[in-house]
Amino acid sequence: MTRAACARAPRAGWTASSLERIIINGSQGRSEGAKVRAARGFSPGSGQRGVSNAHSGADAADLLLTSAAPPSEAASGAGILLLADGSRYSGNLFGADVAGEGELVFTTGMTGFQESLTDPSFAGQVLTFTWPLLGNYGVAAGISESASVWPRGVVCREWTDHPDHRHSIGSVHDFLLAHDIPGITTVDTRSVTLRVREHGTLLCVFGPVEQETALRSRLERMSAPDLDDLVAEVSRDQAVLLNEGALGADGEPLPRIAALDCGIKYNILRELCKRFEVLWAPPDIGWDELTDAWRIDALFCSNGPGDPAHSGQAKSARKTLAVALECDMPTMGICLGHQLLGLANGLETYKLRYGHRGANQPVVDLRTGKVDITSQNHGFAVCPRDEPPLAAHPDWESEGPPTALFDAATEVRFVNANDRTVEGLDVIGKEAFSVQYHPEASPGPHDAAPLFERFEKMVENHLAGALPLNLREVT
Amino acid sequence: MPRRDDLQRIMILGSGPIRIGQGAEFDFSGSQACRALRADGFEVILVNSNPATIQNDPEMADCIYIEPLLPDTVRRILEIERPDALLAGMGGQTALNIASALSHDGTLDELEVELIGCDLVAIDSAEDRDLFKKVCESIDLPVPRALACDSIESVLAAAEEIGDFPLLVRPAFTLGGLGGGTAWNTHELVEIASQGILYSQIGQVLIEESILGWQEHEYEVMRDAADNCIIVCTMENIDPMGVHTGESVVVAPQQTLSDRDHQMLRDAALKLIRRLDIKGGCNVQFAVEQSTGEFAVIEVNPRVSRSSALASKATGYPIARIAALIAVGYTLDELPNPITGEGTTAAFEPTLDYCVVKIPRWPFDKFRTADRRIGTSMKSTGEVMAIGRTFEEAFRKAWASLEYGCPHPRPLTLGDTSEGEGMGARAHTSLPDDILTEWLAVPTDRRMGALMEAFRRGWTVEKVREITKITRWFLHKFERMAKMELEVVAAGKGGLLPAEISADDMSRWKSAGFTDANIADALAGFQPEGYHRLPDERGEAEVMRCRHQHRIHPVYRMVDSCAAEFAAVTPYYYATYEPGAPVGIDHVPHARRQSADGEAARRLVVIGSGPIRIGQGIEFDYGCVHAVQAIREAGQEAIIINNNPETVSTDFDTSDRLYFEPLTLESVCEVLLRETADGILLQFGGQTAINLALPLDARLAHLSELGLELKIEGTSADAVDEASDRERFEEFCKRVGLRMPRGQTGRTPQEVRKAVLDIGYPVLVRPSYVLGGRGMEILTDDAQLDSYMEEAYLEPDKPLLIDEYLRNAIELDVDAVCDGEEVLIGAIMEHIEEAGIHSGDSTCFIPPQHVGQFIQSEVRDWTERIGVGLGIKGCFNIQFAICEDTLYVLEVNPRGSRTFPFVAKSTGIPLARIAARVAIGARLADLDIPEATTGLVCVKAPVFPFLKLRGLDPAPGPEMKSTGEVMGSAPDAAQAYLKARLATEIPVPTSGGVYLTVKDGDKQQLAAIASQLLELGFNLHATPGTAHALREHGLEVEIAYRIAEKQHPDALDLMREGRIQLVVNTPSRSGGAVRDGNMMRRLAVELNIPFVTTMSGARMEVEAIGAAQKGTPEPQRLQVSYL
Repeated sequence: MTRAACARAPRAGWTASSLERIIINGSQGRSEGAKVRAARGFSPGSGQRGVSNAHSGADAADLLLTSAAPPSEAASGAGILLLADGSRYSGNLFGADVAGEGELVFTTGMTGFQESLTDPSFAGQVLTFTWPLLGNYGVAAGISESASVWPRGVVCREWTDHPDHRHSIGSVHDFLLAHDIPGITTVDTRSVTLRVREHGTLLCVFGPVEQETALRSRLERMSAPDLDDLVAEVSRDQAVLLNEGALGADGEPLPRIAALDCGIKYNILRELCKRFEVLWAPPDIGWDELTDAWRIDALFCSNGPGDPAHSGQAKSARKTLAVALECDMPTMGICLGHQLLGLANGLETYKLRYGHRGANQPVVDLRTGKVDITSQNHGFAVCPRDEPPLAAHPDWESEGPPTALFDAATEVRFVNANDRTVEGLDVIGKEAFSVQYHPEASPGPHDAAPLFERFEKMVENHLAGALPLNLREVT
Repeated sequence: MPRRDDLQRIMILGSGPIRIGQGAEFDFSGSQACRALRADGFEVILVNSNPATIQNDPEMADCIYIEPLLPDTVRRILEIERPDALLAGMGGQTALNIASALSHDGTLDELEVELIGCDLVAIDSAEDRDLFKKVCESIDLPVPRALACDSIESVLAAAEEIGDFPLLVRPAFTLGGLGGGTAWNTHELVEIASQGILYSQIGQVLIEESILGWQEHEYEVMRDAADNCIIVCTMENIDPMGVHTGESVVVAPQQTLSDRDHQMLRDAALKLIRRLDIKGGCNVQFAVEQSTGEFAVIEVNPRVSRSSALASKATGYPIARIAALIAVGYTLDELPNPITGEGTTAAFEPTLDYCVVKIPRWPFDKFRTADRRIGTSMKSTGEVMAIGRTFEEAFRKAWASLEYGCPHPRPLTLGDTSEGEGMGARAHTSLPDDILTEWLAVPTDRRMGALMEAFRRGWTVEKVREITKITRWFLHKFERMAKMELEVVAAGKGGLLPAEISADDMSRWKSAGFTDANIADALAGFQPEGYHRLPDERGEAEVMRCRHQHRIHPVYRMVDSCAAEFAAVTPYYYATYEPGAPVGIDHVPHARRQSADGEAARRLVVIGSGPIRIGQGIEFDYGCVHAVQAIREAGQEAIIINNNPETVSTDFDTSDRLYFEPLTLESVCEVLLRETADGILLQFGGQTAINLALPLDARLAHLSELGLELKIEGTSADAVDEASDRERFEEFCKRVGLRMPRGQTGRTPQEVRKAVLDIGYPVLVRPSYVLGGRGMEILTDDAQLDSYMEEAYLEPDKPLLIDEYLRNAIELDVDAVCDGEEVLIGAIMEHIEEAGIHSGDSTCFIPPQHVGQFIQSEVRDWTERIGVGLGIKGCFNIQFAICEDTLYVLEVNPRGSRTFPFVAKSTGIPLARIAARVAIGARLADLDIPEATTGLVCVKAPVFPFLKLRGLDPAPGPEMKSTGEVMGSAPDAAQAYLKARLATEIPVPTSGGVYLTVKDGDKQQLAAIASQLLELGFNLHATPGTAHALREHGLEVEIAYRIAEKQHPDALDLMREGRIQLVVNTPSRSGGAVRDGNMMRRLAVELNIPFVTTMSGARMEVEAIGAAQKGTPEPQRLQVSYL
């Protein structure tokens, strides 16, 4: 199917009228009341109590709702995927007609491909879906995790050219094409996965079979994406309030939080907006600006791609975290944010052999013994103090212990039930904690969602009934 | 939470006989529970009335009761054994109902037995439809609008209130949706609801707004006492709401829900299991309106179920084992993940990198008159599961596993409108569009084939969607399958022969799931004569040969529950054709195990028995499991191939390696090549496996070219043929001097008529090489012959067998093992019913009750001569008849039979295990064979599906109808029979009225029975003819009208008035009595009134009644041991 479909599919969704046709086709024969949702953009503050000019940004699916031509032609025909260990897989190309290259990783989630594709943590990587039937329910408007597609290529067993869902506005192929991202299908993805499991994360390239020689030399020249400042590539460069003036259910103003964007997922921002007035801030914003100009009450550090010990923007975020802890500001980190919080406290980080990516990772709360099934997407992990890394595959790669910026005692609160790697830290004596996994889910289970409430309570306690800082008289 | 050290002795309840709605899945779950608990140091007491299960094998539990699963019996066993706890969640609805009864009447409290693994409040809130609705509402989960009713008046009022038809009727506390249905008008509503109220244990039905056409999704949930919850598996039904999930074609994991949709249902499922406080496994069903995203909770099963067996096999996660350990206190994170081993925990959610398809197996190929429509109550007897990397591959593999006679979908013709077998001339006419539309619109077993056909004809997805309401995603897949099929057909029209298929096409077709047979058939343009009659150069073997020349073989993938993220230890595989460069045979990567004597172990493959169906039940799975055990005991590697997700044989730790594959010649050959197998055992998987003997034998030369030197272990293919081929067997009997009823073979109508003329009426006719006596009938005159011939399916390689019918003969079954020189007889069994009633449907005794020593020694002698003479190596079964003190041999089955487990549990001789040892080379003289246990009379009784299958005459005959069996044993025959009868769960009356109506030939014998019944205090009713005959003997009997007379009271009135507790009716083959009898038996089935259809049966029934009047028989521990 793939060749024919690739040749036929590309421009199906590019005009408003043909878009309408797609939607109608998708819901033919259904009840009159069926509502086709095609909400554009990302604006978590809109409609929120007290918010008059909510900030709005783009959603990656918006491109499927515009009539703009895609940047490249659609790819088709036979392709090959080359791995740095010398293995070679045949397949068929789809998505954009550009070469794919990056660090080959796999995710085991069976749903949520759109959320994964738009998760900035995948920047620099080529993403293999172990679930063989990609895109059954299509791409939906308004549910992306960012404004773009981040993996540098997609590897799958089969993609669906007839997605079937009331919200579908296009296929995974349409989505990749619109974002100029290539894909390769009809690949034996299980075999690829086994290779990554055995050899660890690998560099790879893929493209048309005729260009094998060129692809091969490209692979030889390639350097590990981790060496780049990936955080700088994916993060914002301007601070903005998402929901200025937001009020809580009780009508009181919400405390203000800065969310350091190292590649933040939209659903984290949505969750934060429910509880805080959110300053969506670049990772290198700096402590002084946060406190003096924005007068924040709490700090959050997001997920993101690459090596937490990188000396680029990740380092700036790390410094800010250290100061926040020193100043007793309530602080929470997720994923990369968790690793940065660990580094800020003098813990080391290391690269896992092939990471945790999927929606079924069990995490044990060592205090209660309770297990949550969590959504994860990380290649690095925090090493507990004075211990070797707890990974099942300790391919120990680290920049060496960075200087402890702030040396608070930490407690490993959560561990992975499978390999006992660190999944969460509580900073002793501080209103601060971090988790390696994704309580915002999207994709994945909601088991860990109460962590946002935990943080909300911390901030509440911290303020102890006082007004948020920015509403207090400046003395 | 730690293990419960306060518990030592735990009683586990099984589910009893295999029935529609309650199949082998509970043998699987019960066996897992037994193993898990005993391995953890608990003492296990097991109760199950079904002799054919693995769970009540002597080694499985510390003590075993093969006793009726009735509250009274279980209470008595509790008194005897005084266990600390009762685990009821492993035995389906049967076990839950007993647990519920014993708890409500105070027995459990009084005996200080704790109910573990499920609690009654949870059961009640899940099963009581009204309570369940309230529970859902209390946690803001939507449910369809519904009202609980306990009378027809309230049903009508409810219909008024809810409004529009159709309305759904759901009875509370029943099995497999029994008594439920969809009503399209008031008349149907009254009819369905009155049955529903009758079948419901608490006399309650729910009248529910219909959500027909919504999608149906299932979630398998696990929870422990620490409130850790996981979803083991999600499943999506292809058939929209309105078809019972057990009757639906199901895909795992779900395919068409977005992550948001899925998380919404996941949250709802977890909320429910927490609210119901279920600890263990549970299944939640949802309906989803795809176009709006609305959903509703349909129901919860607060226990392991058929769906959880499917989920276990689909993911590799052993739900029952983990549920049993949760019941004794463990939490999920304390248990290692049994699939990935140490270092991972059971507290995780399996993720799949393949697609699973389950298709139910219906009995309509045998029950041609039964109503084929499927709906909210179950009719299927079993199911198959298949795994592939794409939906198409999995679906086609599942189809190939069904064994309806064609391993792939073919274009539909008028021939398909009969019983699914090619019908000669009618197969040349394509199925008319209007019939096709009907087959799409009304769910039956034919629906999936109709979907293929519609797209073959170029119907659009939207048109088919309009008719079926099936989710478009699936329809697109069917459309794609049809397109590829048309592509193959076109290539064939262009003159492509199998030998010329290019590597590229072959690879594409194979990875879309096409079997070699399908490719051959399609290239040949689907000839009306069928795919197996193609000339050699166009045949299936030629496709395989070409494929192998291209080095295209399947690769084998592990079912590891984690999509390869972790190294797994489960030796559980499926085959798939990955696209890309061909790689040749995907050999098993590791070296052979060393056997005890230092030599490399031999790899021996056991062929399973496929889906449970009439004539091939759980007994054959039992045989396969024993064969595997024997092979492993002998130090060799045992490999199993099977496709039935309900069974113990497909548990991943039963064998050294499990292949979940269709049992077609192609799939089997590929596994053999992968394993470089040394031998294959075909005698344990019933007719499915033995039917492979000849075709496999013919393919051995080809396999040898690929380097595989395979031996068919045990009885040779030629000996199998000699035993099964009528003419060759007759020759054999002549040669060794054994008597057979006179018989002939007919290949054409002329030959058949001539044979009948030679032999003389009555004759027994049947097709050769069939299962369970399909198509077998006793004919007494030309008119019957004519109508039989009209439907008969004659082909040169499928002749009809015509035999002299022995009147009033005693039938015997013998199960034995032969090593080529010596014969071990497991037991001689005497049937109550005369020869002519299918042996699988008869009640039989060990030891024989009416057969003298002389004939018994003749039976032994003949058995030895047959075993040695045919060169049997392994097991065999012989049916004998004694007519006027003369012994006849009726047939020999060169394989294990359905009575092997019954014999093993009656005598303590594990025949199947011994047979397997012999088949792989041991001599009987070298084996330790236990002495047969004596002193008890053991009875096996059949259980029938009449209640579930309307349109089926509820009377045993030459064609098998039963789904399962039960066993009773006691020091005397009457007690043993009574136990078996009680175990069938049809009441044994101790007082009241008996209705008698027998054919003329039986009237004389009836007098003695009638007078005994009078002595036992019953009053008698009879039709005028029968009454007259009895009055001649001075017996007091009331006359009722014959039903055909249309005057009242007739038998039906008396039955409805509750005045009849037993019906004795021997079916007459003439006139109005046929219809009368049928109606009466039908009503008896529906009112749960016992009836007997033979005089010998009536005599035994009277003895059982006599025994029952003396009180409930005392339960006894199973006394046998295989050691």
